[in-house]
Amino acid sequence: MERLQGLTETAGMPMRKVLAEPMCRISDPSPFCNRLRLTALCIFIFSLSGCAATKSVQKTAESIPSQLEKEIERNRFPVARGEDVIGRLAVIRLEKGDTLPDIARHFSLGINAISAANPGVDVWVPEAGERIMLPLSFILPDTPRKGIVVNLATMRLFQYKEDGTSLLVTTYPVGIGTDERPTPTGRMHVARKAVRPTWHVPASIAVDHRKKGDILPKAVPPGPDNPLGEYALYLSKSGYLIHGTNKPASIGLTATNGCLRLYPENVKTLFDDTPVKTPVLIVNQPYLIGQRNGILYLEAHAPTEESDALESEKLYKKLRTIEKKTQRTLDWKKVREAQAEARGIPVPIFELSQGSEKEAAKPVEVEHPETLYGKPEIPALKLEAWYVLAADVRDKIEAQRLAAIINHQGPPIPARVVQKSDRYRVIAGPFNDGSEAKKAAKRLKIDLEIEGIVIEPVKVN
Amino acid sequence: MKKSLLLISVLLVLTTLMFACATTGDLEKVQAQQKMSDAKADQALRDAQAAKTAADAAKVKADETSVRSENALKAAAEKEKAAAEMEKAAAEKEKAAAEKEKAAAEKEKAAAEKEKAAAEKEKAAAEKEKIADEKAKKAEAAFGKSMKK
Repeated sequence: MERLQGLTETAGMPMRKVLAEPMCRISDPSPFCNRLRLTALCIFIFSLSGCAATKSVQKTAESIPSQLEKEIERNRFPVARGEDVIGRLAVIRLEKGDTLPDIARHFSLGINAISAANPGVDVWVPEAGERIMLPLSFILPDTPRKGIVVNLATMRLFQYKEDGTSLLVTTYPVGIGTDERPTPTGRMHVARKAVRPTWHVPASIAVDHRKKGDILPKAVPPGPDNPLGEYALYLSKSGYLIHGTNKPASIGLTATNGCLRLYPENVKTLFDDTPVKTPVLIVNQPYLIGQRNGILYLEAHAPTEESDALESEKLYKKLRTIEKKTQRTLDWKKVREAQAEARGIPVPIFELSQGSEKEAAKPVEVEHPETLYGKPEIPALKLEAWYVLAADVRDKIEAQRLAAIINHQGPPIPARVVQKSDRYRVIAGPFNDGSEAKKAAKRLKIDLEIEGIVIEPVKVN
Repeated sequence: MKKSLLLISVLLVLTTLMFACATTGDLEKVQAQQKMSDAKADQALRDAQAAKTAADAAKVKADETSVRSENALKAAAEKEKAAAEMEKAAAEKEKAAAEKEKAAAEKEKAAAEKEKAAAEKEKAAAEKEKIADEKAKKAEAAFGKSMKK
């Protein structure tokens, strides 16, 4: 409306000048003056249609879903006063050979987040050309905004920092504890920090490994076999750490023994930014509501069976309070849909100030990077190398999936698919010697229950 | 010769004169006879006319009857023909209906077979998808397990 009013006002002036003046001087016989007026009238008409054309272009641009952007912020966001939603949703077009864990790591997302945002997309063998959603917009947990806050339901860590008068939040995806060994919730703090920590194997884990025929040492020194990675922040709750990992593909999974795992590149930043005694609050909030730009959003994550009823009730209570405050009815159908879908994406559900005509931000399209950060590299085949035949299957997708899973082990085991007539072989390697190949075969057996066959090198005379 | 000829002529004339000189009674007799024969002739004529009229009437009647019977015959023949045609048409219609029914049945059968084939295909696809899903889930579970410490 404002834009329209402006247009009428600016258009009004020349109209008066061009149309009114000739009427007063209609008897002016000068042909030059007439031509001048005619030209002015034409210019005015053209300018009017020009404005209309500009408007139509703007309208077209609005209907295009997104613009291609080279980069997108994924970790560090300013938090505007009174707002709870950070970041932007984005989409990316997949390329041949991409896997969702690779895309997730590049954009600092957990495998849980990218899978939930893209239901039905094959995690390991997605179709090239497919457009997938990058859920890089987050609703901050309903907690005090200081120190470190971890939301187990979203598998995300938020680190708040005051930057002068404004507040900054840095967020990273995490891997959390399993159902059997869950990550504890509650208040704690960073008790101490360690670079290149040694992993002292807990007895329970040693027993689990022994059952699988894997004898673990009492302590694992720093290095590629150390599951703590390069950095560790020891929490005040004994036995629990925030650490890196030698299995980056596990970020966004319930795979730890209660610790919080971060991508190696994220834990380094967190380690550097976190002083000892920083408060740590661990919560479990599957349903998050927050507002940005006058719009209320709901971000729903799949809750655990036990917490579902309780968390739903909490959510409805909050929403009913908002209804009472605004004296307007919420679209409950939309709320339930978002809850049922549980895509982990902030969904606009309510316009807080009626008639503000504010729109929810549209996703931006991000250019596919040349290389994905952390994507496992597969060395070229060598005649003189050792290999492990991991599988020989008829289904190409199955073979590709298995090869991708092997590639994403920690430490990584390179693997590829080799077609042999109508069958597909999953070959792990190359390995420099027999012991390396045997070690890989053993890991395949223990970790993935794959009976690999060690292949000796081709002897070249 | 001339004398004989003359004699003969005289004889002839005399004979003729003899005959010509008939009596009045003879004449009346002849006249009565003539009258009678006239009456008889009239009667015969009338009879003949009546007979002709009767014959004509009979002929008209006969003709009419003949025409009527002919028409009736013709109508009957046409009716029979129409009935035959109708019967033929009905038979053809019946045949067409039977053929249509047969075609419909065949079509239905083909559709049912197609549907069955589609259902089987769908079932096979669903089965394949299920197997693929199971494989993916299994792989995912194995992966999840392998990601533990």
